[in-house]
Amino acid sequence: MLEFAEWLQTTRLSVGLRAVDAWSIPVLQSIHILMIGVVFVSVLVVALRVLGRMRTDQPLPDVVSRFAPWLWGGLTVMLLTGALRGIAEPVRQVTTLSFWLKMALIVVGVVVAAAFQRSVRAKTASGAAVAPSGATKAFAGVTIVLWLAIIFLGRAIGYDYEIWGELSPVHAGSAE
Amino acid sequence: MKFLDSLVAGIEGSALAEWLRTTAGAIPIIEAAHVMGVALVFGTILIVDLRLLGIPNRRRSFVRTSNELLRYTWLGFGLAAVTGVLMFVANPATYVGNTLFWWKMAALLGAGVNMAVFELVTSRGVKSWDRDTRPPPAAVAAAVLSIVIWTSVVVLGRWVGFVPDYDFSIPEDVELEFVF
Repeated sequence: MLEFAEWLQTTRLSVGLRAVDAWSIPVLQSIHILMIGVVFVSVLVVALRVLGRMRTDQPLPDVVSRFAPWLWGGLTVMLLTGALRGIAEPVRQVTTLSFWLKMALIVVGVVVAAAFQRSVRAKTASGAAVAPSGATKAFAGVTIVLWLAIIFLGRAIGYDYEIWGELSPVHAGSAE
Repeated sequence: MKFLDSLVAGIEGSALAEWLRTTAGAIPIIEAAHVMGVALVFGTILIVDLRLLGIPNRRRSFVRTSNELLRYTWLGFGLAAVTGVLMFVANPATYVGNTLFWWKMAALLGAGVNMAVFELVTSRGVKSWDRDTRPPPAAVAAAVLSIVIWTSVVVLGRWVGFVPDYDFSIPEDVELEFVF
């Protein structure tokens, strides 16, 4: 993986992204952060609806339909801006524990969101009432924490050793 | 500027600033919490602004949409403000000397004025356009302005970190030894 990252770092796209570093990285990161707002709040509103704390005047499937395009659209833009950011400095990403934990949690978050959406749609199609069970409510709470953890890990990539100490591969074995 | 300089020096030398700079993990945790606060503020305000613009529609009560999100906006703002102040306290000189930081503060002030005008003046007649009706032009303008300003706040905030106030000039009383 490190070999791949080192190769990626020498590619024209990577070098180009770093050459215009003065604006390309801040622009990518700004878009990334704006999309964190869109994605996190979309997840939050749906989770709070499941918990019965917001938009209780709207049926749950309507709330899901209202925010699903924003969740998936926002995630797509985040993936693109994050990938370009990663291509600019791949070695910095793959050598951190935070990056890999973040990727793993994103996969979990995406799978949970997709499965939840499918189940709500299936129930709506079959005409069954969509009333979240206790387990679904607990899951909604966990989902909020999961996305907060993803945000934290994104910021932690730049401070990997400081956060994880010896668990971080960044300075493993070095005297720093 | 003498007052400002001594204020900066005072903050920089404080016990809190020292603790923030030397405690492992303090700054990254504060920065991550800042991003969470920013995300809450931007995301919740965007829903309200887009509702004013009729996106995705105007079927739901504006007052209800706005009111139930407001507490989360304030929660996010409080979190971003507290963590923002802590980031400032840790390295005040870096921020004071950063033009983009002051632009961000000005943008925040602009966002506050826009919100106050909307709350105190524009939204007075909200009952007549609460749902299924196009809000008055002033409300639409406030929504567009709000999206533009808050986007600028986020962009400027990210940019602040990329323009550290480093002084690359060589002090006159330093003798340099060049080793090639």
